[in-house]
Amino acid sequence: MIRKLSSGWLLAALAAFVVVATACGSSTPGTTSKGSLIVAGFNFPESSILAEIYGQALAHDGYSITYKLNLGTRQVVSTAIESGKIDLYPGYAASELEFYNKQAGEATSDPAATTAKLNSHLKPLNLVALTPSAAVDKNAFAVPQAIADQYHLTKLSDLVPIANKLTLGAGPECKTNAFCLPGLQRVYGLQFKAFKTLDTDGPATRAAFKSGAIQVGLVFTTDADLKGLGLVVLDDDKNLTAADNVLPILRTAVATEEAKTVLNNIDAKLTTADLIAMIDKVANQHQDADAVATAWLQQHNYSS
Amino acid sequence: MSFLVSVWQWFADPSHWSGPEGVPQRLLEHVQLSAESVAVGALIALPIGIALGHYGRFGNLAINISNVGRAIPSFGLLVIAFQAWGLGDLPIIVTLAALAIPPMVTNSYVALSEVDPDIKEAARAMGYRELTQLLRVELPLAVPLVMAGIRTSAVQVVATMTLAAIIAGGGFGRFVIDGIAQQNYQMMFAGALLVALLAIATELSLSGVERLLVPQGLRLLRTQGRGRAIIAKVA
Repeated sequence: MIRKLSSGWLLAALAAFVVVATACGSSTPGTTSKGSLIVAGFNFPESSILAEIYGQALAHDGYSITYKLNLGTRQVVSTAIESGKIDLYPGYAASELEFYNKQAGEATSDPAATTAKLNSHLKPLNLVALTPSAAVDKNAFAVPQAIADQYHLTKLSDLVPIANKLTLGAGPECKTNAFCLPGLQRVYGLQFKAFKTLDTDGPATRAAFKSGAIQVGLVFTTDADLKGLGLVVLDDDKNLTAADNVLPILRTAVATEEAKTVLNNIDAKLTTADLIAMIDKVANQHQDADAVATAWLQQHNYSS
Repeated sequence: MSFLVSVWQWFADPSHWSGPEGVPQRLLEHVQLSAESVAVGALIALPIGIALGHYGRFGNLAINISNVGRAIPSFGLLVIAFQAWGLGDLPIIVTLAALAIPPMVTNSYVALSEVDPDIKEAARAMGYRELTQLLRVELPLAVPLVMAGIRTSAVQVVATMTLAAIIAGGGFGRFVIDGIAQQNYQMMFAGALLVALLAIATELSLSGVERLLVPQGLRLLRTQGRGRAIIAKVA
């Protein structure tokens, strides 16, 4: 009896919620909802910003958007989109390709070719990658200013004679990623004294630089705080790092012409400089990713 | 099924059994840090629990504070300790010692406070000084419960030590965290299996130690399976 009563209440509450929700949805001025999409992002600030930009642009076009920001690593996010729990996430051409092809080393420094290759792996999964943006967040290798001065380092090939005295630090995936440790060995012939497993450009890497546990570390080119940390990025003079241009990954089922147009328009406007500035606002000035994304969209004539 | 076979192949690969990333080295790291953490925890917890139990005071306070300690998530503590002390073993030991303390305080308090008052009185009547009475009469009787506390702590610490890999530490957690990052699920599963096996081994070996430490009189009683009334007579 009690059980029955409480489920009745639950139903009533649910019905009320649905009424309120639809009421809110239809109250959006001038537009009717074109469908709902779930937009996810990886567990780092840049991904939250990109997910917000894509999401808000789609919302501006009339979609209703649910966000799942900081969902997890690429492993988690890819599982979610393959099972249809999310519809869209901002990816990086080369990194997505090397993930979906299980580190086969197919990515190149050409964004278009890399994206085409990526789409051949996404197709059987009913996923699609759109046109890559000009904005790039590459992996790079940095050394502390003191080490750079001591050995006169400006580019990665400068490391060759002294690599055996230095310890490289990066996330665990670096050891098997064709564009990280194996790539440094293959392309530059670098043999480091040791490899320290840390995180991918996170707090552990910063702590390891500070304590001197590592002398070379993997960072992102879009990090705004590298100068402040006294780190110098070494130039990738033999083009090891592949084209990690930003692009949206969608489920084919939701990739309508309209959605594609909205997202391609965003990617056509986004630049690496924009990314660096926005990450600085979120990671170092502690602004909210959604507000930073809104500000960028307003600058580009998406009035809210 | 084929996945389990591939996990077996991971274990069978000799390259996973040598070098700085081999199973023996990871085992050493895992055991060493766990042991250090339990030792640090015991140095703090046991004197407090034993003293409070011996005097039979502030028991509720001790147990309540311990229980609050149990509620602190180790993962959160690990991240905070990492912010405070940076890279190295210290944040791991601090976190795991904090995890180890509550069961040891509670168990040693209960162990000492449950020693039969008649026995304490008899010991006093026979001329034992307080410290001697504590060390030679009460503690031996309390050993089973005190050791149960240490055992609980040690098993929890061994299992939780897996988290150390998140802040660039060593141990079996390395296999789990690296396995996820490298999409090497055989390695991840093997790591989880190794942690579970080590936790079981810890439990079994500490029960063995406990059996050796329990006084013969208590052991006899246990095998006879009789009640507390007789403890008084034998002791």
